[in-house]
Amino acid sequence: MTAAPATLRVNGATVALTPVPDDERLLDTLRWRLGLLGTKEGCRTGDCGACTVLVDGRSTLACLTLTHEIPGTEVLTIEAAGVDPDLERARAAFARASALQCGYCTPGFVLALTGMLKERGRDAPADELLDALQGNLCRCTGYAAIARAVAALRAEAP
Amino acid sequence: MSVSFRPDAAAKLAGAAQYGTDLAAPGMLWGALVGAPVAHGRLRAVDLAPARALPGVVAVGSAELDALIPGGGRDADRPLFAVREIAYRNQPVAAVAAPTLAAARRAAAAVRVEVEGAPAVVDLETIFPEWPGSGAAGSPHVIAHVRARHGDVAAELRRAEHVVEETYRTPSVHQVALEPHACLATVGDGIWHVATSTQSPFGVREDVSSLLGIPEASIVVEGTWVGGGFGGKGSSLLEPFALLLARAAGRPVRLALDYRSEFELGRTTLPSVIRLTTGVTDGAIVARRVRLLLDVGSSLPGRDFATGYSIGFLLGPYRTPAFEVEGYGIRTNKPPFGPHRAPFAPQCVFAVESHLNEVARVAGLDPVEFKARHLWKEDDATPLGQRVLAFGLPAALEHARAVARRWRAEAAPGEGVGIGLGFWSTSTGAGGEVRLLLTPEAVTVEQGEREIGSGSVLRGLAAVAERALGLPADRIRIAYADTARAPFDSGVYGSRTTGALGRAILEAAESLQATLAKRIAGEGPVTLVVRDGELVVARAGRSSPVRELLRPDEVERGIVAAGRHYGRGGSIDEARVVDGTFYPYTDFTGAAHVAWVAVDPETGAVRVRRYAAFHDAGTVIDPATARAQIEGGIAMGLGIALTEEAIWSEDGRLTNPHLLDYRIPTLGEVPIPEVTFVEGFPGAGPFGAKGLGEPPIIPVPATVAAAVREASGAHVTELPLTPERVARALKLL
Repeated sequence: MTAAPATLRVNGATVALTPVPDDERLLDTLRWRLGLLGTKEGCRTGDCGACTVLVDGRSTLACLTLTHEIPGTEVLTIEAAGVDPDLERARAAFARASALQCGYCTPGFVLALTGMLKERGRDAPADELLDALQGNLCRCTGYAAIARAVAALRAEAP
Repeated sequence: MSVSFRPDAAAKLAGAAQYGTDLAAPGMLWGALVGAPVAHGRLRAVDLAPARALPGVVAVGSAELDALIPGGGRDADRPLFAVREIAYRNQPVAAVAAPTLAAARRAAAAVRVEVEGAPAVVDLETIFPEWPGSGAAGSPHVIAHVRARHGDVAAELRRAEHVVEETYRTPSVHQVALEPHACLATVGDGIWHVATSTQSPFGVREDVSSLLGIPEASIVVEGTWVGGGFGGKGSSLLEPFALLLARAAGRPVRLALDYRSEFELGRTTLPSVIRLTTGVTDGAIVARRVRLLLDVGSSLPGRDFATGYSIGFLLGPYRTPAFEVEGYGIRTNKPPFGPHRAPFAPQCVFAVESHLNEVARVAGLDPVEFKARHLWKEDDATPLGQRVLAFGLPAALEHARAVARRWRAEAAPGEGVGIGLGFWSTSTGAGGEVRLLLTPEAVTVEQGEREIGSGSVLRGLAAVAERALGLPADRIRIAYADTARAPFDSGVYGSRTTGALGRAILEAAESLQATLAKRIAGEGPVTLVVRDGELVVARAGRSSPVRELLRPDEVERGIVAAGRHYGRGGSIDEARVVDGTFYPYTDFTGAAHVAWVAVDPETGAVRVRRYAAFHDAGTVIDPATARAQIEGGIAMGLGIALTEEAIWSEDGRLTNPHLLDYRIPTLGEVPIPEVTFVEGFPGAGPFGAKGLGEPPIIPVPATVAAAVREASGAHVTELPLTPERVARALKLL
């Protein structure tokens, strides 16, 4: 195990990380080095989607990403406020539809949806966006309110 | 941000809500449990020395208990650590803490555990290959036995025109809250403090007190936001170990389960075998016999709740002149049985509903018409002699039949529409208390529960307070305090929170109004209104701002009024109980569900196309929150119906402790259900509300099974309805 310095841009700010062991996951870097606890730890095996963040605009499982492999990238988490219009649209859609209960899966869903808005464009059909959330598990809502949030996305101002 | 009806949306959507897994403190150590390597056997030795040799490691086991908690932790019935006998695989034998999680895991692996393994007792039908007679109650494997009867079942069954006997099997299912158990303990100045993700802070306090042998007055439990409970976070699991480690280390200790351990150590619903016998003459049920083998894992003797409470849901909701019910709680080498949203009711209802469909078929009757004719009505007696009151299930069934007729007309070949009926009762638990604090700006409800996600605390209690005091939502605040400061409550479980704490709020509101009546002259009722941005007390044309009514000692907190609600309603005819404890229903909650499914004729795979739910929830006091409960409950029920099954190997090992192979429903597998409330049947809660956390999950497996049968002819008697089981029932395999 080696330790190399790494630099990330997290939610618009540059952070220098020294040193980062080879086996450190982005999830642990965010939560325990940077104190960004909004990214949630669920299964740590890539099955639940609770830790979804964006890395250079792409939806990424932070539990399966090694920090030392992504130097210089732009990471976006649920704590980002006012820095990304797509994130604000996704967040507003979840709020208006009250598409959450316990809230533990919510940051992952919101970031996965944000990533899809970037990948497919804001005018992508709702069913296409919803389909892209299949990798995120929710145990509380039965996904009904989440589907309503996605369906109402177009109504959200950027 | 757009406005949500949920007061917690803003914090949760900003990543600002602190859950159990987010707990940390300066200087803290990370804990890990050391588990038994076999499911059954003798524990020969536990050597902590290799772990202690690692830098910064603290380790505790049975040998340390006397020094850490003199006289405590040695309760023979509830040993903290396995002492001589190992009851289940991964049962804690020691606990360690270290400066990092990786170091804690290395330390746990370094502990030397010597065991002498014995064959594990795992499978119910290996223990009782023949159905046990009443003599089995003396078996060492039986830790609970319940029996009740009314009328002469044997004679009625002999005389009956048709007798149908069937056996149903249900597996172990896990709550799968996405947040695993996690807590942070700090011990100092005589206070044992633990912050934890729990459905019951006071329940954890009681457990910790009893397990560690320290007085409740020395224990403070502070709830965090809860990332899903579903029954799995109703009592203590990690807290006593974290506290012991914190005591030994003299530093805060964080202890959390990884998700694999969440599956392996969680208290879950365990397998059952249900045998049902029904006699019918001239289209009428004349007798039913119900027998249950319930795996209770390594639960303790005398804990017959699981069998006594569950079995109540095998008795209804149909008129039955003669019945006999017998249940055995069977001890196996698995973790103790634990509650899972509506503990064991979806499984019982699956068996009863599917069985009565088969009985109707044998008797040449339409199953739904057959059930409608037997459904409990107002003033009927249950098999245990309790009077049925305000039961909306018959009305819900009529709605469901209308939807089913429409859907059947549209269904394609290979598709089917099924109806399932479920019932439940609002539990009150040990009751609870609240305080209302009236200030010039708002009324604060001070209470001891954290929101677990259902909305029962932040929306349910607020809605009751709004209605009781006639105030708008922005003038009601729900405050949480830890167990040292909050009034007592027994926990967020049993569909009880809005009901029981809501009743306490009503009592407190009355007390508050009585207090205000003494401070403002005039006759008639006292009301609170908002005027020029502040709260004003009004009475018969007079009014006075709250700020002018405060006494000097009330300026800080406001005018305080307390309310409490204890006890449960209903009573049963104890003469019908032969053995064990049976419970009355506090009220009668019912739901009729309709599923439209497609069954693949080659693979047996089931797809749910549409779903409708009709719920008698008494008076619905917060419709948006209530609807959300039903949507979520249906999805969870679809998991029990179709995919969820924790599989234990012969040596007591959980073979699928991962979300990849313990499959919960995903977004594409759950249709958006149509939800309708059937009102007019008031329950035991405030304004006639009935609990709604659990009822939505109950009818789902039965409903899906009925639809699968209609679609394909497959009569499946074992959950879940996997493609393989459906294919076998269709003789494709």
